[in-house]
Amino acid sequence: MGLKKERKIDISPAEKSSRSSGRNFEGLSQQLQSATSSERRWAARDLAIYPDAVEPLLHALRSETEHPVAIAIFDSLRQIGGETVVNGLLPLLSVEDAFKRNAAIEVLQEMPEGVALHIIELLNDRDSDVRIFAIDILQQLAHPQTPEWLLSVLKDETHINVIATAVDRLAEVGTQEMIPELKALKLRFPNEPYLDFAVQTAIRRIKGD
Amino acid sequence: MQTTHKSNPKLDEITDAEFERFKEYFYRKTGIQFENSKRYFVDKRLLQRIHSTGHDSFRSYFTTMRYQASGEELQELINIMTVNETYFFREEYQFECMVENALNEIMRHKKPGEEIRIWSVPSSSGEEPYSIAIYLLEHWAGIDKIDLEIISSDIDSKMLDRCRRGVYSKRSVQHLPNKLLERYFTPVAGNSYKICQDLLDSVSFTQINLSDAAQTRSYRNFDLIFCRNLLIYFDDASRRQAAEVFYDAMNPGGFIFLGHSESMSRISSLFKVRKFAKAMVYQKPQA
Repeated sequence: MGLKKERKIDISPAEKSSRSSGRNFEGLSQQLQSATSSERRWAARDLAIYPDAVEPLLHALRSETEHPVAIAIFDSLRQIGGETVVNGLLPLLSVEDAFKRNAAIEVLQEMPEGVALHIIELLNDRDSDVRIFAIDILQQLAHPQTPEWLLSVLKDETHINVIATAVDRLAEVGTQEMIPELKALKLRFPNEPYLDFAVQTAIRRIKGD
Repeated sequence: MQTTHKSNPKLDEITDAEFERFKEYFYRKTGIQFENSKRYFVDKRLLQRIHSTGHDSFRSYFTTMRYQASGEELQELINIMTVNETYFFREEYQFECMVENALNEIMRHKKPGEEIRIWSVPSSSGEEPYSIAIYLLEHWAGIDKIDLEIISSDIDSKMLDRCRRGVYSKRSVQHLPNKLLERYFTPVAGNSYKICQDLLDSVSFTQINLSDAAQTRSYRNFDLIFCRNLLIYFDDASRRQAAEVFYDAMNPGGFIFLGHSESMSRISSLFKVRKFAKAMVYQKPQA
């Protein structure tokens, strides 16, 4: 007993053979439906190198209930990237499952080009929650038009919670030119003390004083 | 006392509002919270990056960094804001947590004949894996009841060579109690100390790139992982990938120790947070 002095890091032969069987696109796609969650998770991870895996991964995501497997699916989708992934993840903004919704937001935040094609549509969605999630995406989106999109929310949006979320984000990315639009909100919503506070904070941050 | 800055005419200072703006953004991206006592440290490095990148204002620099798709400049900032050095028994409270809590909990789930496996990554120059070995020998009674295997990995082969040589400067061993220095080290030329052969043989060093799925696949069945002050240098994608590697490398119920400024919760929801008396660690849920 004590500290071992032999040098052994190799996996056991049994593990090696079970993980090397059927590890091609077709085999891995089938394993996404396995009854064993660790097998599904490894399949999801290994599919990251196949651009064609977007469809089977999105399909598996719909019914997946194990978080570690779903996380591996999201991670592989993130690595594959592209328009199909963005299109496949956008519907998740409307689902009740907060875990999948938040994971989708995180992945979309890292796909500025793909998201840019849909952002106006999202900011005009009928559901105010989806509009707020769109602003959440913008919070981390590395796209130069982000301030402009947020400004459009100040101008066009009518739902107070959506506006307040946009104001909060503008505190970080806003520019001097946006201050008049921010001030205008105080006139549009004179009886909303929270919004008043958020606007003051944003203006103070933007002015840098 | 907090300094108050009012204007920024020659760009030789960061205003309070700019500091707040940067602080919030940096916290959100890295989980590192700068207290006001760090203000001078942060301002100095921010100004250094603003000048080096040719910007003439905080606003223009911040906007560029904020929307840079590669995230390269943010990484530069992270690197200069988190300069670290390694030495024996660094962040000792985590080793205390290892012997007082984590290992005892793991022992309860071990069957006769099973061993405990510990992975220390990155090896850097070896202070961490050898500190773990010394701490186990000195402070964990359970070591007489079970075999432990310590594996330490690094991407840098030169670092691994240094680990295997096991020669350390006086500065590196300065936090070791004298009796441990005498017990496990021998003074050698150049005001240095060589670690004893028993300890050299107790740690297996391997080369690994955590971002290479083919390389990491064989790392399995670990009960404890130490990965301190490494993930902070990774971009978001690599950080998440490392979390996935650690998850799959661990036994259910295993623990992972990160650096004091790092948070697994910000990287992945795969692990649950465990708060012990001396440290907060992350655990792979039991199956």
